[in-house]
Amino acid sequence: MNRAAHKAKLIQFLQTIRRPDRPLDITDEHQGLITSGLIDSLAVLEIVGYLEQEYGIDFSERGIDPGQLNSIAHILDLIERETR
Amino acid sequence: MFVDMHVGALTEPLTGRRWEPPEIQRQLLRRLALYRHQGMRAGDRVLFLYGNRLEFFVDLLAVWSLGGCAIPIDIRLTPFEIETLARAARPQFALAVEAIDEALVSRLAALGVKLLEATESALPAEEASSLSGRHPSLDRDALILFTSGTTGQPKGVVHTHRSLRARWVTLRQHLGLKAYRRTLCLLPTHFGHGLICNCLYPWLWGQELFILPPFRADLVMQLGALLDEFEITFMSSVPALWRLALKTARPPRAGTLERVFCGSAPLSAHLWERIQEWTGTRNVFNAYGITETGSWVAGTTMPEFAPADGLIGEPWGALVKILKSRSTDEPPWAVPGCAPNEPGYVWLNTPALMRGYWERDDLTRQVVSQGWFMTGDIGLIDDRGWLYLRGREREEINKGGMKIYPGDIDAVVERFTATIDVCCFGYDDPLYGQNVGLAVVLSDSRRETLRRLYYWLKQHLADHQMPVRWYLLEAIPRTSRGKINRAQVADMCARLKPVDVHHLFSEKQ
Repeated sequence: MNRAAHKAKLIQFLQTIRRPDRPLDITDEHQGLITSGLIDSLAVLEIVGYLEQEYGIDFSERGIDPGQLNSIAHILDLIERETR
Repeated sequence: MFVDMHVGALTEPLTGRRWEPPEIQRQLLRRLALYRHQGMRAGDRVLFLYGNRLEFFVDLLAVWSLGGCAIPIDIRLTPFEIETLARAARPQFALAVEAIDEALVSRLAALGVKLLEATESALPAEEASSLSGRHPSLDRDALILFTSGTTGQPKGVVHTHRSLRARWVTLRQHLGLKAYRRTLCLLPTHFGHGLICNCLYPWLWGQELFILPPFRADLVMQLGALLDEFEITFMSSVPALWRLALKTARPPRAGTLERVFCGSAPLSAHLWERIQEWTGTRNVFNAYGITETGSWVAGTTMPEFAPADGLIGEPWGALVKILKSRSTDEPPWAVPGCAPNEPGYVWLNTPALMRGYWERDDLTRQVVSQGWFMTGDIGLIDDRGWLYLRGREREEINKGGMKIYPGDIDAVVERFTATIDVCCFGYDDPLYGQNVGLAVVLSDSRRETLRRLYYWLKQHLADHQMPVRWYLLEAIPRTSRGKINRAQVADMCARLKPVDVHHLFSEKQ
């Protein structure tokens, strides 16, 4: 699966956890997901759950830098690194 | 320094700011000078519009030293909710350390509340001469913690200096201080659990306190590193935080943690064992506490125990009874008690019991009888004298440790023009443990009406109180006595498809 396909899936997922009245700007991969108010800070766990379920990425031993989950671009970079 | 207790150093790991006791003393004396100059007097009530910062703890001591009563509130509340609390508490002052919402400033001013900004530049250079002779009377109100009613009739738990002191003294007797010498707090300082026990218990007894902003997922993800860097020996938290930490934070490596508490929500044996594994200590205790009893009142400090669902453990400075009735009409000793292992209603007797609910004697009478507090929890005591919880009858939704009262949300929805009937309820959520569901009957269910309802809720409810699943019903089911049974409504809604709230906004207006 290429980056565009990962992105399409990710956006589909983010649409389900975003705040209803906050539109997701799919053209801006660098939009801060929390800082823009799109999701609340605890909902980051839902992104972690998504990455575990869809890509089998396990953060429990090494932890994760929260900065890696703060935008679509960063999440896609993470997916690419982990699935290489 | 304060009522014979000697406070420890305060540190904000996130900003690197740290106040040693001499600096705390200096800050306290400057605040005393400022607040006295501004007219703060014994008996005044003071709203705290901020928390989880160094200044918060010094301001608390300053207010108490002047004989005032502190009212820390959740700063995530909307201006409408804060105004509701202010109307109920009628504070003379509000304290802030940074700019606050202009609308809120106007609302507070209209209520006659004087806003004081205790920023560094606002503090006078000269200090009050000393603290001597300014210890507050033990029976003066010290703290009001609002636990519900932010949208209607607030319920505020009032603690006196006597009840708080009783909690800290009994905790010291039962828990000691050694494990608490470097305490981390990630809980909000408007919570009984976070403020009275996680923070003030160790800090007022001279232990170091490391204070973080609450409910920040990014900080939880760095928990292992934070524990190592600041050589934390103790922390308390809630199950939802641990679910997040276990998934996203690498375990601590330095081995400094000596004791960990988990409270404010049921802790499963499975999660308990995983926390033990992650923290590297078996000293992970379930701590049972209620704001009305000064929070921590029992826990698993027994020498030998294995994690078990519902296990609470032994009381800390309290008597526990399991009774067959929850009624406060009869004195507890006249009510039949349950046999060992027989479930019933959990009652507590502790010198740390609240004075009562703020100007709500009617509510106080529903839970207090002859000094005994009816917790609303269902539990049992086994043959060893260990307490177990088996359920809760309290009407609250526990969303990741954040207590949400469905009645508060009902009160807002009821005032929406198109509402005919409403019932909010909790439903199981894999992330938060519980989340907020809304069953509503509307006079019309057009998309525009639903959008207006959404904006109405956003205007009046804090983010964490917002209903996530919405159900449009033709009628809210009621019992034969005409009452709403929230559990029954939740069960019914679980079989229905919720409204797609995202869809309401995805089709462009």
